[in-house]
Amino acid sequence: MKDDSIRHPAAAREFLADRERARWHDSAIWWVRQKRDAQMAQLPEWETLRTMAEQIKAHTLSRLDEYLEAFERKAEENGVVVHWAADADEHNRIVHGLLAERGVNKLVKSKSMLTEECGLNPYLEARGVEVIDTDLGERIVQLRHEAPSHIVMPAIHLKKQQISELFERELGTEPGNFDPTYLTHAARANLREHFLSAGAGLTGVNFAIAETGGLVVCTNEGNADLGSALPPLHIACMGLEKLIPRLEHLGVFTRLLARSAIGSPTTTYTSHFHKPRPGGELHVVIVDNGRSEILGREDFYQSLRCIRCGACMNTCPVYRRSSGYSYSYIIPGPIGSTLGPSRDIRKHASMAFACTTCASCDNVCPVRIPLSEQLVAQRARAWQTGALPAGKRAAIGALGVLTRHPALFALAGKTLRKVFPILPAGLAQDNPYSRPGRALPEMPAQSFREWWLQNRKKP
Amino acid sequence: MSRDAILARIRRHRPAEAALPDIHAPAFITYQDRYAQFATLIAGLGGHALTLAPGQTVREAVDTHWPAQGRVVDTTQAIHDEAASPHDWADVDIAIVPGQLAVAENAAVWVSQDALAYRSLYFLAQRLVMVVPRDALVDTMRDAYARVGFAEHGFGSFISGSSRTADIEQSLVMGAHGAMAALVVFE
Repeated sequence: MKDDSIRHPAAAREFLADRERARWHDSAIWWVRQKRDAQMAQLPEWETLRTMAEQIKAHTLSRLDEYLEAFERKAEENGVVVHWAADADEHNRIVHGLLAERGVNKLVKSKSMLTEECGLNPYLEARGVEVIDTDLGERIVQLRHEAPSHIVMPAIHLKKQQISELFERELGTEPGNFDPTYLTHAARANLREHFLSAGAGLTGVNFAIAETGGLVVCTNEGNADLGSALPPLHIACMGLEKLIPRLEHLGVFTRLLARSAIGSPTTTYTSHFHKPRPGGELHVVIVDNGRSEILGREDFYQSLRCIRCGACMNTCPVYRRSSGYSYSYIIPGPIGSTLGPSRDIRKHASMAFACTTCASCDNVCPVRIPLSEQLVAQRARAWQTGALPAGKRAAIGALGVLTRHPALFALAGKTLRKVFPILPAGLAQDNPYSRPGRALPEMPAQSFREWWLQNRKKP
Repeated sequence: MSRDAILARIRRHRPAEAALPDIHAPAFITYQDRYAQFATLIAGLGGHALTLAPGQTVREAVDTHWPAQGRVVDTTQAIHDEAASPHDWADVDIAIVPGQLAVAENAAVWVSQDALAYRSLYFLAQRLVMVVPRDALVDTMRDAYARVGFAEHGFGSFISGSSRTADIEQSLVMGAHGAMAALVVFE
């Protein structure tokens, strides 16, 4: 679980203190963005695909209740047991109940941001269930008792030396062997034992098909497939916005997902589950946890189109330079910065300001969520609900007064231009330039407004 | 129960009606040589594609490609090993399975066979061979979804190359949890 009390500016400052590592983080993630661009360039229909994905999701949300009921009906016909959870606590109780009834004490999990959102791992561990995260990146952060720092690349904040030391301690690998292939195969051998001995497997859901009652799970590692094929119990947990109407619509979404996420033409495995495996059980838990409230908010419901590809964070200049740990909500970056404040504006207000409004995220989002607009709207909510720290509130309040009174604005500008240059350095410090390596800009002799009045063409 | 409360809340909050697009209307990419596209792509994804030579059997092609072998299970044959539990496939070195179609744009093969009780075979085998009819090669996933069927206990998977991960410093490593390498044999 993440610490709600994180404030982005302070946490980012800490991250940036190690300039070398921060630069590496920035370039590693930018490389993924470039791989995404290379994939995009190979498909002439890319923008058409984005538009269709947007439209399919918008349509689904406009009839979400009907599609959920259709999905439930088909899934039950197929022998799948469908559960509904209003919130995180109910979700956790359902999952634990299924495990407890069957005496399961070891659960293998594949990646699910939903279970992170619900705090499932600590809930189960407190009740004596051993939870093994099986995605390599998630296993690494689990062994370090950390949250994922990225939704697709959970351990992107770590260097191979740190992972080598961790594996040496936890898995008994050779000291000083930093080779990613060696380390990955050591984890493979270790996790295979867990796959073979677990009593249940839990997966997330990338897409749920209303037409067929099917679930689609995409991974590169094959961990969701092993975790759902071996143990007799497969539990799939999904946010209620994962629905798509028909099987054929996957012909749009599977073309966008991996290309947007990691710059790959597809994930290794795109697996479709409709029934339990022979001799096994398949349960799906449909989770609301605030989503149906977001659906009713004019400014924010479009965030429910998200397919969790992470492209918005890979392109975000703020995310790349501050890392996932600078964001208080479990999902970082642009999409997290609207979902988090939607959930709790008081806890996550700082995220809405971790944005330059450059709108690069809007342009890579495969379902065309207007993220930058949503973040601006979240800022307005932060102001209205009093969720801002006193200093920021005062500054915004003052600016609000100035921009509403042009004469006052002009006077304030004039005063600043005259007073700033003669202020002692110590007095001029509380401004965005007061950082090491930065200097106040030269004050211009006149404002643009004054220049315009002098130079505009007279009619 | 939460179900009805959730559905009622959604009904209350439904956004304005939005039309469903016809995903078949726009033209998508086509490949002049689908096989070449597939074979080039899979080479970078931990896999290899080949076409059987005249008179060559699948098994001969596999033996040539991967000479040293442990346990081989071939479900393209009418008579093959069966497993009493999904865990029984844990010691399989090479699994040879039928693929129903292949996709040029992403080197994926659709796997869903009615003769297999436990799909764990695909994921536990160290190396995976998928045998696909040469004429079952389509351009894009849109074409693929028009043709897929769920023959295997409601299960089916697109598998593209070997299992892989880049979770350690973005270094691509083949062989995460599933097959370490993949071979697609067109016949």
